[in-house]
Formats: sequence, C-alpha cells, structure tokens
Amino acid sequence: MVEDSKSLTDRLWGAFSSMKLGLALLGIIAFVAGIGTLIPQTEQDPEKAKAVGQLWQTMGFTHLYNTFWFRLLLGFLCINLIVCSLQRLGGIYRRTFKLTPPSNLARVPQKTRKVVQGELVPLRESVQEVLKQKGYRLTLNDQGNSWSFIAVKRRLGNWGSFITHLSFVVLVIGALLGSILGFKGYFMAGAGNTLSIQAIQLSKGQVTDTFSVRINSAEDRMLPNGERDNWYTDMSILENGQEVARKTLSVNHPFAYKGVTFYQANFANGASFTADMNGQKTPVILQDQGQGYYQAPGTDLYLVTAIDPSSSSQKADVLFQIYKGSGADPIQSGKLSSGQTVDVQGKYKLTFNGLAGFTGLQVKKDPGVAVIWLGCGLLLGGLLLSFYWQPVVLSGILQSENEIKGTLTVGVLSGKATVSTREALEQFVSSVTKMLR
Amino acid sequence: MLESLETSMFYILVMACTLCMVLYWVWLGTKKEFVGRLATSLTIIAVIASTVAIILRMITSGHPPLSNGYEFLLTFCLGIMAVYLYAEFRYKLRSLGAFVMPIPFLLLMFIIMSMGPEERIAQAVPPALKSQWLTFHVITAMFAYGAFAVSFGLGIMYLLKLSKEDTGKKASPQGIVSRFPALEILDELAYKVVGFAFPLLTLCIITGAIWANYAWGTYWSWDPKETWSLITWIIYAGYLHARLMYGWKGKRAAWMAVFGFAAVLFTFFGVNYFLPGLHSYAQ
Ligand code: HEM
Repeated sequence: MVEDSKSLTDRLWGAFSSMKLGLALLGIIAFVAGIGTLIPQTEQDPEKAKAVGQLWQTMGFTHLYNTFWFRLLLGFLCINLIVCSLQRLGGIYRRTFKLTPPSNLARVPQKTRKVVQGELVPLRESVQEVLKQKGYRLTLNDQGNSWSFIAVKRRLGNWGSFITHLSFVVLVIGALLGSILGFKGYFMAGAGNTLSIQAIQLSKGQVTDTFSVRINSAEDRMLPNGERDNWYTDMSILENGQEVARKTLSVNHPFAYKGVTFYQANFANGASFTADMNGQKTPVILQDQGQGYYQAPGTDLYLVTAIDPSSSSQKADVLFQIYKGSGADPIQSGKLSSGQTVDVQGKYKLTFNGLAGFTGLQVKKDPGVAVIWLGCGLLLGGLLLSFYWQPVVLSGILQSENEIKGTLTVGVLSGKATVSTREALEQFVSSVTKMLR
Repeated sequence: MLESLETSMFYILVMACTLCMVLYWVWLGTKKEFVGRLATSLTIIAVIASTVAIILRMITSGHPPLSNGYEFLLTFCLGIMAVYLYAEFRYKLRSLGAFVMPIPFLLLMFIIMSMGPEERIAQAVPPALKSQWLTFHVITAMFAYGAFAVSFGLGIMYLLKLSKEDTGKKASPQGIVSRFPALEILDELAYKVVGFAFPLLTLCIITGAIWANYAWGTYWSWDPKETWSLITWIIYAGYLHARLMYGWKGKRAAWMAVFGFAAVLFTFFGVNYFLPGLHSYAQ
C-alpha cells in the first residue's frame, strides 16, 4: 500500500514537473481562449449569446472564461508551474551563489574553449585583473600546482525564469481573491438622488458595505472645439446620513472609498421636477426618453418625460406624458419650460426645474487588484532579468608545465545565446593576451 | 497647414518604403554596394517621415495615435522599420531588409486601398481613451510588434536558406542565399529579437490592463482583442520554451516565428475587422 501511494505521488509529481504538460496546457488554454472569441459571450453580447445552441450554452461555451473547466486548466498550469519551480530552485540557487571552480580540465565547459599560454604569475594576475575590470564576480581555487577560477557576471539573471513563473501564480491568486471577496455592479442615478450601496444592480459577488451615495451633480462637459471633454459626477458618500467623503469623478479618474471604487461609465440627460401634492413637495428626477417613470403616491398616474429636441440645449424644454394604470395611450401630455407648472389630473402640481444629468457608474470592490499589480511587477521584473540580464559564466584552469610557464584553458557556459557567450569568451581572452604583452 | 504637412509626410513614407523595398531586392541580386547604401538611406527617410507624420498627428489631435486604424497602422509601420533599422546597423544585416520591408509596404498599400481620406482624418476620442497609460500601451505595442515582424523576416530567411542547402546545391557563391548569414546566426538572432519583444508585449498587455482598470474598473475582461493578444503572448512563450527545453532550434523555431507573427497580424486585423469589442474604438 505504502509502496503504491508513494509511487502515485511520485508519478503525479513527475507529471506535473514535466514541461511537456506545461506546454500542452498553454497550448490548450490558448486554443480554448481563441474559441471564446468566436462564440458570442454573455459578458459582452448577452443577446447573441442567448441565440447560441442550448447544448453549447449548457457546456459553458457562452461564458467560457468563467466556466469551471477553464479555471481547472488554469489551476493545473499553476500546479505545474509551482512544481517546476520548486524542482529547479536548488539548481538556480547553486548556479547563483555556490559556483565552484573546476577541479580538473574535464570540468571546464567543453564546447567553447580557448587556450592561453604564458608565464604563471603574470597570467594569474592578468586573469584576475581583466575579470575585475569587466565586472565579473570571481571565485578562486588555489592549490599549489593547480589554480582555477570561476567568474560570473549578471548572476541574478538566473532568477528571471523563476520569478516569471511564480508571478503567474501570483496573478491567478489575485484574480481568485477578486472573484471570491469582491463585487461588481452598476447604477444610474440623476443629480440630487441618494441611494444605498446595497441597492445597486449587481453582476457579480455581494455587497457587505452599508453606506449610501448621493449624486450632487452630473455633467456632460464639452470642449470649446465641440469635442466631448468628459463626463463629471460630483458625488458624496454618506454614513448614517452624514457626508464622510466627496469627490468629482470622471472617466479615467475613479473615486475609491473603503475599497469600493466608482467609475464613470456613461451618461444620460434627464429632467428635474417638483411634484406638489397638497403642499407636500417631492423632488422627481427622470431620465430622458422615458427610461423610468414617476408614480405619485396614492394614484395610478405614471409620469414619463423626454427632452424637447427642438428646444435649445441651453434652455431646454421638456415634453411630458401621463399614463393611467396600464393604459397604452397617455391621458395627458404637454410641454414645459423651466419654471413652469402644470396641474396633473387634479391630483398634484408638477413644476419643471430644469435639466438634470444622469450618471452611470460602475461600482467595484476587488481586494485582489493589489495582488494583480504585484504579479504584473514580478512578471515584468522576471522577464527583464531573463532577457536583458543574461548571466555569463567563465571558468578556467591553469596548468603549469614547469614552475614558470603554464597553459590556461578557459571555457564559457553556453547559455541560451551561444553566439554571444562565445563573444564574451573571445573578448576575455583577447584582453588577457593584450595585458600579457 | 500641419495637416497637409502630415499628408505629404505620409506620401514621402509610401514612396521611400516602396523604393527601399525594391532596392533591397536589387541589392540582393546585384550586390552593388551603392544600391545597398541607397536602400538603407531610404529606410532612414521612411522612418523619419513616419515619425514626423505621427508626431504631427499627435499635435493636431492632442492624443496618442489610436483613434483609428490609420493611426495604428502608421505606428505599426514605424515600429517595424525602426526595429529593422536597428538590427541592420547592429548586426550588419542588410539582406534582412528584403524580407522585412514588404510588411510595412503591404500595410501602407492596405491603408491606401481600403481607407478613404475621411477614414484617415484625426477623430475625436471618447473620454475613456484620454489616459497616459495608453501612450505607453501604444509605444510598447509599436516596438513589440515591430520586433515580431523582424523575427518573422529572420524566420523566412532561415527557411529559404535551409531549403536551398537541403536541395543539395550547396549555396553557390552566386546564389542569393549566400548573402545571408549562417543558419545558426539567423536562428539566434531571431531568438534574441523575440527575447527583446516578449517583455515589451508583456508590458503592453499590462499597461492595457492598468488603463482598463482606471477606465472601467476591470483589468481584464476577455474581450477579443485582449484574448488574442494573450494568445499571441502564449505562442511566443511556447517558442521560447520549446527552443530552450527541446532544443527546437532551427527549422521548427523558424516556423514558430512565422506562425507567431501571423497571430500578431490576426490580433490587429482579425480582431478589428471581424470581431467586436472594446477595441472597436480603434477602427
Ligand atoms: C504562464 C506561462 C509561462 C511563462 C510566461 C513562462 C516564461 C518563461 C520565461 C520567460 C522563461 C525564460 C526563457 C528564456 O530565457 O529563453 C522560461 C523558462 C523556463 N520555463 Fe517557463 N513560462 C511559463 C510556463 C512554464 C511551464 C508551464 C513550465 C513547465 C512546467 C515552464 C518551464 C520552464 C523551464 C524549465 C524554463 C527554463 C528555465 C531556465 O533555463 O532558466 N514554464 N519560462
């Protein structure tokens, strides 16, 4: 039994430390991700996604990136990367910090070698001098008749691939944190409205916070040349009715409060009214084009509005309609200019105060974002080390023929780029010979 | 005024690019040093003209060149030619020009044939595109994609030379491929170029994610352009690993460099022209 379970873990470890599996996983992930761009996804195009065949929907092809099996693939890749990295950790450590000079000629890298002859003492001195000048870190082994060295430049480059691989795991953890602990939602509100954060429309996660949001103003600002400058929302955070924070946000300039971030997403126009019912005044803010209605309390009268397209944008007029019950035709309609009041079916008086902006805000809480940026930093750092900071390892042994003369055999560990490591060796040898002369 | 200067720069670019491509070919055939020099000078002119055109465009429009396909293609051309020029000087590799220059040439032809003047003028950008991160995003994309185009050219050269040598006729001294560097050098250069571009592509994706997080609160939304840039990224990661671990050097690596660039092109054209998404801004 013990035998068996051991060999199973061994086999699992073996499978997951294989780079073949890693490459296969990467290939499958790329392929599956590609399929997801050809089939409409619910997140981007809910209408078209619904039209996809039922079987495909059930199998998750219309929300491919959120499916269990896509995440499983990413999970396998993570395990693969962790196992692979652990297995290589020792080697990387030794190659960075525990380099030992060659003990005999056979230990000098074979493929790329050079030989220099000269007198022992000057040869040793010039080797050390040249290595120091070129910025190598040197380890010597001096045992009477055999003198050898190993020298390394840019040794931290060894850690590049390790850091890169780990960063991917960090990224996955960050994404996981976000999807477990975070939420994502959206609301649209007119200037003057207050709503609880709990009341927003959610697409992911749950809201545990309890504060409220008041939209002080919402504005669609234009530049003098007629292009859109940006949409601006002046908003306040209320805790128990008290304003605790306030900021004007716009697209690309979000506002964060206690880990909840508000993003300006879109904008619509609307109108601000006051409904006066027996002296009790209620502010009513309605979006343009009948997106939303006002039902006066105790009545079955519904008010919708639209901005009069023929009026000037500075002092716009509104068209309004009153519907009764589920009736399809309005029972009253008309046009109001700013400040005008109209009587609605004898039930209440409606005053048009002027235009009001409607702001659409994305709301998001994602405690994983910091981890994501950490992962991005590690990823980039690791890649820079891998490709812009490649280590060079020179090692050589000096064998004396008599007490005065000797032969130095130097080799360079052929890294990923053989031509340029050879160049490093040639440069080294030519500097040494120059110094000997 | 500035606009018409920009237009003239565009046509200078088109002429210089076309001529230098032809001259690189002539040079490959004739080996006349004069022709080669002329080709290189014209490439320099093309780089300058496209740089000036892009800078003028940025001045007149007040944003990085990403409001439409014209601006992006122009930047793409500049990236390819700039990285190529660097490679030519650094590695004394003029024959590469014959294989890289057709790419910007075809891109420019695409602009001329498929985009009317009204599609080329600077457009207003939506508020979401007003972000410094996008400037980095465009610059990194420019150099990464440019370098991938150069590795594509190297891959083609490798495959051509290999097939000539395989057919037995040891590249005759007269043969065009005899002007190419040794296979091993071509292979390693392609690796180096991909190694230069891969971190840049990564940075491009990261700056895109940072921007998206500022603008929408989502650093990654799997929109088709993002997904395809990830696929491209994975293909090149595969290239690097296969090479490193299985010793997939030479022929297979060369094919992967060619294949990877096809993914780059699809990320740009395929996604902008066939698939919808956030980046449809870039049309
Ligand atoms: C998220 C995907 C991955 C990325 C971005 C990545 C990135 C890298 C990079 C940049 C290098 C250095 C390559 C070079 O210097 O030419 C590397 C090397 C390597 N990778 Fe990966 N890798 C990934 C997945 C994997 C997987 C799944 C495995 C295996 C299970 C793996 C195993 C290795 C090995 C063994 C090396 C050689 C390390 C060395 O010699 O320094 N990688 N990787």
